[in-house]
Amino acid sequence: MTFSDFLIVLVGCSLTMVAFRVIPLFALKGKELPETVSKALGLIAPAAFAALIANDLCNPQAMADGFSWVWAAPLIAAIPVAFVGVKTKSMAWCIVAGVGVLAFLMLATGQM
Amino acid sequence: MAWFHPLSSWVAYNRAAMENIARHILTPALKAAWPIMAGYVVLGIPCGFLAQAAGLEWWMALLMSFVLYSGVGQYMIPNMWLAGNPLASIILSVSLVNTRQMLYGASLSRFCAQAGKRLSYIFGATVTDESFGVNLALLEQGDWGIKRATAVNFFSMTTWALANAAGVLIAGAVSLPTALASYAMTALFICLLCMQAPTVSNLVAAMGAAVGVVVCKLVGLSGMAIFIGAVIGVAAAMLVPTSACSEGEASRGDQA
Repeated sequence: MTFSDFLIVLVGCSLTMVAFRVIPLFALKGKELPETVSKALGLIAPAAFAALIANDLCNPQAMADGFSWVWAAPLIAAIPVAFVGVKTKSMAWCIVAGVGVLAFLMLATGQM
Repeated sequence: MAWFHPLSSWVAYNRAAMENIARHILTPALKAAWPIMAGYVVLGIPCGFLAQAAGLEWWMALLMSFVLYSGVGQYMIPNMWLAGNPLASIILSVSLVNTRQMLYGASLSRFCAQAGKRLSYIFGATVTDESFGVNLALLEQGDWGIKRATAVNFFSMTTWALANAAGVLIAGAVSLPTALASYAMTALFICLLCMQAPTVSNLVAAMGAAVGVVVCKLVGLSGMAIFIGAVIGVAAAMLVPTSACSEGEASRGDQA
């Protein structure tokens, strides 16, 4: 990543981040959000996280070429991560479980 | 030596003020923040590994941690950049994921009525998922203020920034496959999805978003897949009748 790319991403993301963090704090002192807006905002988190997971784990082109541990290993490793996530709700334990299982699978299948 | 007395009283006054701040603000804030700080060390070092893989220097990771201060965002930026996504897509996707911060600001606004504008701004601008949870619980108990809450945010932010910078420096000395470092982010997202309330609306939003991403990839829209998929998921869930959500939540309440 070049320095100019870094600056563009940093400034772009930071401006929206500050706006999202600060504007409601000042705009809503003593007020409530409209119900529809509140419902839509509440749905963004599950939709965005599911989209990010699907983007990381699903590669339709590679899957169409047949079975390969390159795309199968991350999918399999997601199962224990989901189990740990439901049980513990701990981000740290999920990372340990996910990276640990994937490392084992990559070693076992000769990818590492 | 006439000057000595005003100076010594000034020093004594400031020392007393500092001790007061340390005793009444920093110490309780540190006690509240330490579980977040421990978690940020574990999360921040792999994030630094990923940043180093994308070509960021330690000071860039440090700067990004203080200016942007978004765990999910800072995992997404190097990962999406390594996957060849355009800059506009990275900014849009990170911004979309961070819209949830609006809910935190809306929830915390009622506690900022007595705080000054500058303190309210600093507090609001340094809230994260984790510090929001800890501070909200303490603010609702009553024995907590915006100064202490802001100190919690600062302890957490400093730990996050140092862990990121350390991750970049360690990654320069240790060889770790990028696939493993970036999987830390996938695991983080799976955990965050598991933390969402299991309502009908949320399930529809998640399924709709996942299907939307796969369809986008199949038709060659990989660069915008996350954004379009998430919008499809939210739109699909908005169509779910409120009564269906209420029934689902009521039945879970009965079981509990």
